[in-house]
Amino acid sequence: MRHTILATALLGLAGAAQAAEGERVQITGEIIDTWCYYSGVMGPPESTTGTAHHTCALWCSAGGIPVGLLGDDGEVYMVLKIEGDDGSASGDTQLRLASHEITADGMLYRRDGLNYLVVEDVVADNGIVNQTHDDWGVIPGFAIPDPEG
Amino acid sequence: MRKLIALLALVATPVAAQDFSENSEARPWNLVAEVPARFEATVVDLLCELAGDCPANCGDGRRQLGLLRSADGVLVYPNKNSQPAFTGAAVELQPFCGQEVEVDGLMITDPELNVDNVYLVQTVRKVGDTEWTKANQWTKAWANSNPDAEGKGPWFRRDPRVNGFIEKDGYLGLGQEVDDAFIADWF
Repeated sequence: MRHTILATALLGLAGAAQAAEGERVQITGEIIDTWCYYSGVMGPPESTTGTAHHTCALWCSAGGIPVGLLGDDGEVYMVLKIEGDDGSASGDTQLRLASHEITADGMLYRRDGLNYLVVEDVVADNGIVNQTHDDWGVIPGFAIPDPEG
Repeated sequence: MRKLIALLALVATPVAAQDFSENSEARPWNLVAEVPARFEATVVDLLCELAGDCPANCGDGRRQLGLLRSADGVLVYPNKNSQPAFTGAAVELQPFCGQEVEVDGLMITDPELNVDNVYLVQTVRKVGDTEWTKANQWTKAWANSNPDAEGKGPWFRRDPRVNGFIEKDGYLGLGQEVDDAFIADWF
């Protein structure tokens, strides 16, 4: 009995150190800038999505901040690869998709409270559809330079 | 048997009880959910760690990197470096790929947003080193990669890729006509 408990405990510890198990998923949502969404540095999370935040989303993606897929289920999925492009730090594919609503098919890995997504196929790209600028203006306010200088 | 159970409890307890704010000298950003956090970790390629996709040298800077915390094996995701300039952390950690480091910064933990283990790294050093490196090299790296970027102002006003998308789709991403109407009202 004692050996059984010890073996079970050791197996459990070993399992925790192994790579997470992936599962195939298909998720529809918006490609967002995760830092602004999570940190609140720009305001409430809903102000950091869609057209209001599009320019900032471009800045952050180009700046190497991780992008996420904000799913219709309200969960954020950290995107690590899109259709073979592993440029998750300032890569071209994720930059092109900033603020777009997409349907992604791929592998989901859950680890220590975060969701990580390897997108194997962008099944649908609906472009930018989340029009938030009527509610929020632009976030941050200086995203559009003052035409008067 | 009682001793064995006590031993197992001891093994499990530190994971839940760790306080990584002790000895942290991280500068506050006054974020709603920030907690100072200083800890030792191994710098890992996230795609390699999670999916077994493992190129040399953590992908040579293309990829996001993680911090596999030594004390409890938790995978921390550094989203941000220390510059208030829309800049991430991978550039700061790439020189330490595969190495054991000590980092200091701010952890974002917000149950309302269901987020934990998202990190802003402010300083990093190899375990055993005495000197810290500030995690503020991103803009310098960008300047080195974009010596011909035109215009004045910070990098994000001059980045050729960003400006290409803004020229094509506008600041709101919906085209010039929508931009023009919005700008006339906004300013």
